[in-house]
Amino acid sequence: MNGTQQLHNGEVVTSNKAIAENKSFFYFIDKINTWLVNSLSSVKLTIVLLSLLAVMVLLGAWCPQIPQGGPGKVVEQFGPQTADYLIKMGIADIFHSLAFLLLISFITVNIIFGSFRHVFPKLKLLKSPMPWLRAEQINKMPVHYQFESSLSPADCENNLARTLKRLGYSVCINGSQLTAESGKFGRLAPTVTHIGLLTLLAGVILSSWTGFSGFKGVCPGETLSFLDAEHSQLWLGKLPNWTVRVNETHREDYPSGEAKQWYSNLSVLDRNGKVQKTQTISVNEPLSYNGVDVYQSSWGLKTLKIRFNNDAKQLSLQSMGKLFAAFLPLPQNAVIIFSIRDAQAPLRIFAKREDWSSPKLLSQVPLGGQTDLGGVSLIYEGTVAQTGLQYKCDPGLPIVYLAFIFIIGGISLAAVPHRQVWAQLKESPSGNNNNQLVTIGGTTKKGKISFARQIENIMEKLKND
Amino acid sequence: MTELTISQVQMTFTNVSGISALLAFWAFVLGAIGKWKTKVYRVAEILILLGFVCLTAAIITRGIEANRFPLANLYESTLWFAWAIMGGYLLLVRRLGQNQLGWLAALFATMFFLYGSWLPGNQQVITPLVPALVSYWRQIHVPPLIISYALFCLSGLSSLVELWYAGHIRSLILAAVTIVLAGTAICLGTYTSIDTVWLQLLFVGSSIAGMFLAWRNLSHIATAKADQAKANVYDEISSKAISVGLPLLTFGIITGGLWANHAWGTYWSWDPKESMALVTWISYAAYIHLRVHHELSAERLSLVSIIGLILTLLTYLGFNSLGFGGLHSYGRFK
Ligand code: HEM
Repeated sequence: MNGTQQLHNGEVVTSNKAIAENKSFFYFIDKINTWLVNSLSSVKLTIVLLSLLAVMVLLGAWCPQIPQGGPGKVVEQFGPQTADYLIKMGIADIFHSLAFLLLISFITVNIIFGSFRHVFPKLKLLKSPMPWLRAEQINKMPVHYQFESSLSPADCENNLARTLKRLGYSVCINGSQLTAESGKFGRLAPTVTHIGLLTLLAGVILSSWTGFSGFKGVCPGETLSFLDAEHSQLWLGKLPNWTVRVNETHREDYPSGEAKQWYSNLSVLDRNGKVQKTQTISVNEPLSYNGVDVYQSSWGLKTLKIRFNNDAKQLSLQSMGKLFAAFLPLPQNAVIIFSIRDAQAPLRIFAKREDWSSPKLLSQVPLGGQTDLGGVSLIYEGTVAQTGLQYKCDPGLPIVYLAFIFIIGGISLAAVPHRQVWAQLKESPSGNNNNQLVTIGGTTKKGKISFARQIENIMEKLKND
Repeated sequence: MTELTISQVQMTFTNVSGISALLAFWAFVLGAIGKWKTKVYRVAEILILLGFVCLTAAIITRGIEANRFPLANLYESTLWFAWAIMGGYLLLVRRLGQNQLGWLAALFATMFFLYGSWLPGNQQVITPLVPALVSYWRQIHVPPLIISYALFCLSGLSSLVELWYAGHIRSLILAAVTIVLAGTAICLGTYTSIDTVWLQLLFVGSSIAGMFLAWRNLSHIATAKADQAKANVYDEISSKAISVGLPLLTFGIITGGLWANHAWGTYWSWDPKESMALVTWISYAAYIHLRVHHELSAERLSLVSIIGLILTLLTYLGFNSLGFGGLHSYGRFK
């Protein structure tokens, strides 16, 4: 960068010489460039962007989001007018709004500039060894003490070194001078965290460019194909041509009747319909094949199979809390309600008319049983279950996981304070030749008070020995 | 003599712990105004230790009783929270010998005992887990989150004391009133059926107005109260609690992502509770940047940490009690 120089704190300034020599067009370009780089890498900008991000995410948490619950949920919570407004403002789908995208891009730029400008250059400091300081210099440290010890110089120094080592310092001795350092690796914190953040961004971008995902409810005997993957934004990847057949699916209950687990037995079929792999999945136990994962994400009874006077009929079931129900409208505002708890339980049949306050139980039929409803014979033949399968292919995932490790590691390192201690022994000036004058001092970036107390304790211990 | 059931043992441990926390609070108060300061403070600390040990026992017996990891509903999580407040105080703070935080921590722990024990019965009983929660990930994901929330609260409380010793009495009062109002909104949301719109308004309105006024009033200093050396100590405690809490929060959010990916196939789905945890995380990321860059004075950092406390309360309790939904609905009441 001609005509500019970098100060120790990372700021870039344009030198006077350049100003005098170079009032040309390039000078202004340079100046704008300098200003831009400084602004884009500034931590003030970071704070502003992070605050904006926090506010946007907060809004997204407060307002039901359309991709999760559909517009219905927004209306349900806020009423039609407010909901309309929220949807128009983009707040009901804030994580796909232009503003959010822009903010994330801005933050990305800020992280990149900030990291390369302020964070990574600090790594150089890790390599530089601690200088040897004389007593006068030690006395300028934020924490420093001077006292007399009656121990011999060797004993005194050994004592001090031992104490420091026990406190986790690594100690170097050079004649009458001593340096000690602890938590040096804590200085890696920003670098590791920011590498993690950049890696995370890379992984998420890779996923969104090459991955796909989707959801489908599938009945036993049917197959799941990936060709209608909803969220696919395939720039680079392609959709698989193999399919997954659902062989069987069932629910396991607690004795109290609540669902404990859902299971689906799946077979992977290649292009020619040949079985490549068979596995039973459950929540938390997905099937993985060729980079695609298939998850058990929901479960329900889909259709009710009954027979009226020997006419087969299928009614679609709806989930109603713990139960599933089907409705058969009759003339005169009446309705027959079929209710069932699970595939093995008996079918309960109710009638409801508009002018009745609650439905009336007409009959209860076991699986395969028959009943008579006012002259019509009804046979309960069973139900068809439907398993809700979520699938996804996420090529960026390993990178995202790597990023997670870096971020956790980096933020944990930030809790480690980097402490430096110097000491020097001298013959006591007080005339008592056996006494040593010990000067000890040090500095730390974090936890200044704990550090000051630690040094004070070391001094007290040495004095009393 | 009737036999003691495990449930009774658990209740006894919990009650002893709650009473210890309450007594510790009064001991700290007595210590501050009474004569035998050091002795009374000693008693207070022993009470907190007793409460911590009993609560550890209570949580373990709860696990034995339920035959699962004892962190599956709001009641159990309040026990963990009180446990982490007391443990965090003993581990992080006591060493710096600070008693002004002691009474606040004891008070906070006591309030969580009360909050937990007044929860509706259906929140307290041991119920079977829904399919999504049957996983070893649950014990990896949830405890770090609850512990980080507790540490953030300790940090915010310590910041209140910092404001006191730095002489910012007006800001302190405003901040304390803000926290009380936010807590009131949460309690009203938990125990009454007041329309959540009003509670949201109370929470958000008082938080924004309160913190804004507290910020504006920082210029007002009561020099008579100021003791900068002590203020520095509480500032350090506050940042220390955050530096331990933030890795835990990060770990909790990320393991939540791993679990979600394992169970549902996506590590992030912008579920409200997830988003709220992210908001908290972002605000503490902002805090550490403000701190390393010396952009703000200690008093302003204290206010940022108090804002963090309010966001933490919103994430932990507010979202459910103020009427929001989502996957993580183990605290829905209405
Ligand atoms: C938005 C863009 C960001 C920029 C430009 C940025 C910039 C910086 C800079 C310049 C430092 C170095 C401080 C120093 O050593 O003097 C730093 C430290 C740090 N940053 Fe960031 N940062 C950003 C986002 C984040 C985020 C989102 C996190 C997540 C928590 C984060 C975590 C950290 C950590 C843990 C440190 C170390 C703090 C310490 O040593 O105590 N940064 N950041």
